[in-house]
Amino acid sequence: MTTPNAYDCEHVIERINDFLDRELSADEMTLVQAHLTTCGHCASAYAFEANTLDELKSRLRRIDLPQSVLDKVRATLANPNNG
Amino acid sequence: MAESLEALLVPCLERAYGYALRLAKNPTDAEDLVQEAALAACKGFATFQAGTNFRGWFFTILVNCFHARHRKAYVEAEVGVDDYMDLPLFDGAEEHGLLDRSNPAQELLARVDRESIDAALRSLPDEFRVVAALYFVEDLSYAEISEIVSVPVGTVRSRLHRGRKLLQKRLWSLAVDRGIVAGLQGERA
Repeated sequence: MTTPNAYDCEHVIERINDFLDRELSADEMTLVQAHLTTCGHCASAYAFEANTLDELKSRLRRIDLPQSVLDKVRATLANPNNG
Repeated sequence: MAESLEALLVPCLERAYGYALRLAKNPTDAEDLVQEAALAACKGFATFQAGTNFRGWFFTILVNCFHARHRKAYVEAEVGVDDYMDLPLFDGAEEHGLLDRSNPAQELLARVDRESIDAALRSLPDEFRVVAALYFVEDLSYAEISEIVSVPVGTVRSRLHRGRKLLQKRLWSLAVDRGIVAGLQGERA
């Protein structure tokens, strides 16, 4: 499959999260970046998705480990044949 | 052997429990899942190569234990996710005139409590939740998730794409239902 010389809005919106995650090929990263510099709507979508991702990652907090889990795991490791 | 495993396992147990809670959805089942994974790790510790990524190795065991427990209940994700708009939160914000604010995504999500966001993640179908929790909470790359879940990177990409879309769809619905969207519309940007 050949890569087009330029991406339109549909191409970019489809790839915007992979672009955000730096999970596109170098060529695709360049094509998306080039489109974002000329398209205000897609640039706005990109900024929105980047802020959404930051917010979700920061709000999905790590959870404290209950002491009971630690105790049970230690007991399991000490005596795996009881598991 | 057990001492050495304990030295590796205890430091990553908090994160493993957090992941297990997102998979199992309730503390009791999450606790059982972690304990079961610890037992499996104990029995299979000889296969762990010293110096490699222990957390990844243990998380793989955790995922395998989860799949074994939920094999009967493990169903393909609901039909219809692909019909949603690609960016449900952005599209919703645009339709409702919220994009003229300085940071509409942050302003919207700041009004949703943490537990509701976490619950929305936990509500995703199994196959999406397994990758989405690693992505959002553990901040792993597609390749790292692929190794842990034992599926190709393309599958991770697809499940994450659909899981992210469904998560956004649910958060947008929640924001509408709770009057958050209307509240933002009523405020000056």
